[in-house]
Amino acid sequence: MAEQCTVSAFVERKVDADSFTIRYLAASPQSNGTDPLICIHGAGGLRLSPMHEMLARTHRLVAFETPGFGSSPANERSRDMAELAATLCAAVAALGIRSYNLMGTSFGGNLATHMALQEGEKVQSLILLSPAVFRPAERPAMGTPEQRREVMHAHPERFPLAPSNPEVDSKQETLVRRLIGPPRDQTLEGKLSGLSVPTLVVFGTEDRLTPPEMARFYRQHFGNAHLMLIYDAAHLVDLDRPEAVTEVVGDFLARKERFLVSERSGVIHP
Amino acid sequence: MKAALFNPIRYGGPAPAGWPVAPSAYDLEIGRRSLLGGLENLRLADELGFDWVTVAEHHYAGFSLTPNPMVLAGALTQVVKRAKIALLGPTVPILNPVRVAEEYAMLDNLTGGRVIAGLLRGTPNEYVTYNINPAESRDRFEEALALIRRAWTEPEPFGWQGRFYQYRSVAVWPRVVQTPYPALYMSGSSPESGAMAARNRIGLGLAFTTVPLASQAAKFYREEANKLGWNPSTNQVLYRMGFHVAETDEQAMTDMVESGAAKPHVGLTMANKAVLAGAMSSGYFGKAAEEQKERVAPRDATERIEKGQILLGSPETVWKQICRVRDEVGAGILDLFPIVPIADRTRRSIELFGERLLPRLHEN
Repeated sequence: MAEQCTVSAFVERKVDADSFTIRYLAASPQSNGTDPLICIHGAGGLRLSPMHEMLARTHRLVAFETPGFGSSPANERSRDMAELAATLCAAVAALGIRSYNLMGTSFGGNLATHMALQEGEKVQSLILLSPAVFRPAERPAMGTPEQRREVMHAHPERFPLAPSNPEVDSKQETLVRRLIGPPRDQTLEGKLSGLSVPTLVVFGTEDRLTPPEMARFYRQHFGNAHLMLIYDAAHLVDLDRPEAVTEVVGDFLARKERFLVSERSGVIHP
Repeated sequence: MKAALFNPIRYGGPAPAGWPVAPSAYDLEIGRRSLLGGLENLRLADELGFDWVTVAEHHYAGFSLTPNPMVLAGALTQVVKRAKIALLGPTVPILNPVRVAEEYAMLDNLTGGRVIAGLLRGTPNEYVTYNINPAESRDRFEEALALIRRAWTEPEPFGWQGRFYQYRSVAVWPRVVQTPYPALYMSGSSPESGAMAARNRIGLGLAFTTVPLASQAAKFYREEANKLGWNPSTNQVLYRMGFHVAETDEQAMTDMVESGAAKPHVGLTMANKAVLAGAMSSGYFGKAAEEQKERVAPRDATERIEKGQILLGSPETVWKQICRVRDEVGAGILDLFPIVPIADRTRRSIELFGERLLPRLHEN
């Protein structure tokens, strides 16, 4: 069962990097020995889900607000995804983090992929939730709140997305449209086979924005990708089925590719 | 001695290395031909007088197109009229044991009691297939074995409150034909498995190993059985190995080279480094972890002959190689799988074995 987190493990901080002041939310539980997990949000902006809170019980988490999102000023300086990724890499470095795990959601999955390409061996594992590296040519209609909810959620009754601010939405959407690039970016695809970092690619089976049929492209192009489909979840996998996502992400963070081999006991009674 | 023809039903086309292999590499027509060709080879073995035909379970790669050997055995019941049908076998710890008992019972009925019931622990990669913890494979196996035996013999519906399995009621129909149940075999290359086979009084299968290691494992099994007051028969030790027979030694080696089978190859166990590392840390190989490296080390054809992993050559040469296995391992059953993936040469090899070697083998 998910727990409604009334007291968050996260605190808000800011860091200066690449001439941006970047807001971030950080949780620092007693170390379990693994590298910190850097989280890059999607096109909707920085948000924490039950998944983040559950992971934060055992992992140091840093969730950045990408420049141009949320309450930060409009970002008209970053010229492309690679440049925005470089800013976030600088933010990681400014926190003194030399080795880390990286998780990107949707648009943030695209950014995280660029970061992993730039950071090389600093990134110990890459986790992509409903990533937008490869996208279908057509997007489902999301003009009304109802349409948006239907596309984003399979189970809005569980952890609904908080209402957004239209002005912020507009600023973010302008930035995303300007930077994200084509649904299939040949230049980026050409670089992916060299990305040997253990990569977990997570899709909801009911995702209509980045449908699970996109998942196969990650296997075909990334150097070391493992696909995981979350049954009965839509684009916001970590809100629709946070426990299921947390379990597999936690296992991948702990064991990388060896997560393939189950360590869960099947004993019913001793 | 007895001989079995084992056909893992390899996919006959090109496929990427590694495990698992992407289904996109599978060609429907090649796959269909591979399955039908495998059935035909097993039918031919029956006609030639092989004592058993054997099928096995492997998943997610072209190494074997029989993820469920029970299904292939069902087809075999309709084309193999005389030989016993051996399933060596279902990978019991990853399956529902009651289902295994039921499927064996069906096959025993369809064959009129010609089923050999292998119950295997499988290769470590198979535990990824159904997401079962390989560290618990031995305990799951032993409980499943007890449950399957009970399901075959208990005349009244019963419940089972095990460590790994729970059932409120079990009552298997149809009942098995053989009394009390089909002959049982398990794999036993490690000391733990050899001891388990001995205490459960079931046959021992030695596969994908070497003659020296198999000899050691068979000796250990017999000693353990003796301590418990019983003597395994010769037919309770089975040795599985590759084979290719041609008219001459030169032709046999040429077939190997031309087919690419002479080169060292990596088996399923080593095909995925992450899975292998996970299996090693789970203790899957038990006390024989070091020996496992020796068993599965990639070797060329000459080295594989020396290690007793394959029979290769003319009938006369192969007979000498068979005598070595008989004398050193004491195996009563040779479970032979074709190693040259060229259809007409494999067929000729099976024919030569049947015509020139089976009669001598049966005299020994």
